[in-house]
Amino acid sequence: MRLGAIRAYMLKEFIDLKRSKMIYLVYLLPIMILILFGYGIRLEVTHARTIVIDQDNSKLSIDLAHAFMHSKYFDTKILPITPDEALASMKRAKTDIIIIIPPSFEKNLLKGLKSEIGVFIDASFPLRGRVMQGYVQGVLLNKASEYLPPQKIPLILINQRLLFNQAMRDENAIVPGLIALALLVAPAILAALLIVKEKEYGTIFNFYASPLSKAEFLIAKLTPPFVLHSVNIFIAFFIATYIFDVPFRGSFALFWVASELYVAVAVGIGLLVSIITRTQIAATVLAMLITIIPSFLYSGMLMPISAMEGGSYIEAHLFPVMYYSYILYDTFLIGQGLQSSTIILYLSILALYGTGLILIGSKLLKKELS
Amino acid sequence: MLEVKNLTVRYGKKIAIKNATFNAHNKEIVGLIGADGAGKSSTLHAIAGVQRFEGEVVFNGYAYHSPAEAEPLKSQIALMPQGLGLVLYPDLSVKEHFEFFKRIRGVKDDPAYEERLLKMAGLYKFQDRLAKNLSGGMKQKLSLICTLLHRPKLLILDEPTTGVDPLSRRELWEILDETRHAQDIVILYSTAYMQEAQQMDKILLFDEGEIIAQGKAEELLKSAEPYTYEETSCDECFCFDKRCYSLKPLPVPHAKPTLEALFFINALKKGKKETRFQIKPKKVQTPPIIVEAKGLTKRFGDFVADDHIDLTLHAGEILGLLGANGAGKTTFIKMLLGLYPIDEGELWLLGKKIESYEDRIELKNYIGYMSQNFALYKDMTIKENMEYFGKLHELPSKTIAQKIEELSQGLGFAEYLDEFPTSLPMGINQRFSLATAILHEPVVLFLDEPTSGVDTIARAGFWKLLHELKRKWRISILITTHYMSEAEYCDRVVVLKEGKKIVDDTPQHLHELYPGLSFEEIFINFYKETK
Repeated sequence: MRLGAIRAYMLKEFIDLKRSKMIYLVYLLPIMILILFGYGIRLEVTHARTIVIDQDNSKLSIDLAHAFMHSKYFDTKILPITPDEALASMKRAKTDIIIIIPPSFEKNLLKGLKSEIGVFIDASFPLRGRVMQGYVQGVLLNKASEYLPPQKIPLILINQRLLFNQAMRDENAIVPGLIALALLVAPAILAALLIVKEKEYGTIFNFYASPLSKAEFLIAKLTPPFVLHSVNIFIAFFIATYIFDVPFRGSFALFWVASELYVAVAVGIGLLVSIITRTQIAATVLAMLITIIPSFLYSGMLMPISAMEGGSYIEAHLFPVMYYSYILYDTFLIGQGLQSSTIILYLSILALYGTGLILIGSKLLKKELS
Repeated sequence: MLEVKNLTVRYGKKIAIKNATFNAHNKEIVGLIGADGAGKSSTLHAIAGVQRFEGEVVFNGYAYHSPAEAEPLKSQIALMPQGLGLVLYPDLSVKEHFEFFKRIRGVKDDPAYEERLLKMAGLYKFQDRLAKNLSGGMKQKLSLICTLLHRPKLLILDEPTTGVDPLSRRELWEILDETRHAQDIVILYSTAYMQEAQQMDKILLFDEGEIIAQGKAEELLKSAEPYTYEETSCDECFCFDKRCYSLKPLPVPHAKPTLEALFFINALKKGKKETRFQIKPKKVQTPPIIVEAKGLTKRFGDFVADDHIDLTLHAGEILGLLGANGAGKTTFIKMLLGLYPIDEGELWLLGKKIESYEDRIELKNYIGYMSQNFALYKDMTIKENMEYFGKLHELPSKTIAQKIEELSQGLGFAEYLDEFPTSLPMGINQRFSLATAILHEPVVLFLDEPTSGVDTIARAGFWKLLHELKRKWRISILITTHYMSEAEYCDRVVVLKEGKKIVDDTPQHLHELYPGLSFEEIFINFYKETK
């Protein structure tokens, strides 16, 4: 191993990255992923525009209407209009929810008679509609449980408590998943490009025809993406905790070590991509394809892995994303850290992935034209 | 001493070079001459240890049979692959390249040697310039001195001078000559320019994946003498450039052969016949001046690709536009065609002043264009390609079919109509690209580097074809080339150097001015004058 040669090659990579302006891409891409998707993906609904038509005007009905007022999920107006007028407003997309409390609502309830509340929800976007439906039902049942005489309660039991993400904030659920996406895509692309660029231009001959060994070449090529993207670990942490206010309950050291291992995995993926591609464009597309899709699906950002079945469950375990995002969600939201044997297992799996990919890559890399 | 024994390189089923066997001694420059795809690069890559091969290579007593076995020798080998500045990093300066190559090769600092190399290459003053801002010739010289930094014992140069201007080419040779006198070195040097053969100690002629002849230039020329005759009419022979080659005796005196003769003789020995072109005569009415360009200028940012070029193409004339890569030839043709907007200057085509897009549309059907590297669709057969181009010119299907029939017979590629361009030799693709460009019977042809990389016989055939077209159709042709020797076959030549016109004359007049000199040598004078 000739350190002088490796250093010279690395120095060249850094100069090249700087002068070709590719260095901007190194930091811009992960930041854009975090910021754009962090603000862009919204699963919850807030400020649903709600009209309550209170035809009863009793203590109970007013109380019920007020339950919708004191929530960030609803922007509620109690209006003395007819249901038809409210419906017209919904048709003009000015209103999301209409709640109609019928006359003699309180009286009927007190008499123990069945009473109906009319709820109309704009479900043009099904997911959004369903979420709003859930909110409305929650509020109504909550209120109902307060008012119903005790003997009626057994029929409705609501005792919910949200754990780990008490505030039910989307950011908390999504941003850690986005870190898993950003730290996989960007290092993989850079590592692949650094090698394929030389193949495309023909400068790869400098390696082929020189006494430079495969190990020296790989160290020189893979260190820059690894080092440069290690900085992104801190940037991502900063964006998550300061910009998106995601809590951080675990150990930073664990987060950092896991992230470094994960960046090594990403660099390994980039190396494999560079072996089977010849042009920079093909390398970029392939690297994106095999990193973005699994990151979205298997980071647990949109759907928990434990809820998956069959094929998708197996696939989730094949991609390294799942292991890292498990550790991410733990360090950000839960904080059990190394006390959990799963975390230790997953950490070792990541280490295995990283070394495995780079070893396979260096075996497949040929110091000759193919 | 380098010994190459039965070297064969395969790509899957395709054999790139078969059973190459030759020796090269210390301080010798061995030339590999032949067209693209003849097997030169594969041979050089195998010897450099970057390509798997069969057979054996022995260098100074050490034998190797694979890239892995060649590994211990790599500190003594230097390879400069084909392509302008391919081993250079565009964003690194001259000095940084030196540092990089020194370090990865583990060479100790030797300021005196480094300075000498930089001065030899004329780059001493440009050490801080980035590689992407160097001219083609400078790039090649930098690549060369970078490979010399570690004082290799085996220097392998793959077409270092293709597309490089003649002056830089000469300087490159001077560096090589100096190097081999100063140290023990074996130099392998491939080229597409026959003229460079004179300076080589030994020549290997490559054709279709085989070495067809080897030896000193004089020996090779001597062996061709019995088959070379003065120009005459004959069957079973090839005639080109005032000479005829025949295996059977001809009733005319012998002529002095050039190295090209060996390719013709080899073809004859393989039983090949010259393609006779049949082109139906046609009457065409054209204005006396086809293209008139006045001060045409094209800029890309600060870079002036064409700097106030005046050029006139008369009816029925073959005008050669010569120059190195990056001299502005292609840009000029693209301005004539309207593929690049003209930044400055005036242009008349077929007597009409070009001011707008509409002016060009009317003329499109009078112009034929063949772009660099033949713009063919490789997933369509030759016939489908031709039909497609015919339809683009809105010819009726019946006419297209008739034309394809006539041209494929006349230009000698009828048997390949249902094949795909990728499976055919370049010479065939070149002819059928030309057929495609003349399908709609244009009165003027713009040909961009049609002969680049094509083998000797196909090139000879192509020039004959152009002259035949000119005679039968009175067609006017503007053709670009980086082969200075092809000036011989033009009616008039214009030479561009870094965007400026440095020559505009007839070959006859140039020969009168510089008697006994080749065009290569003539143009070097002009390059020097404008330095």
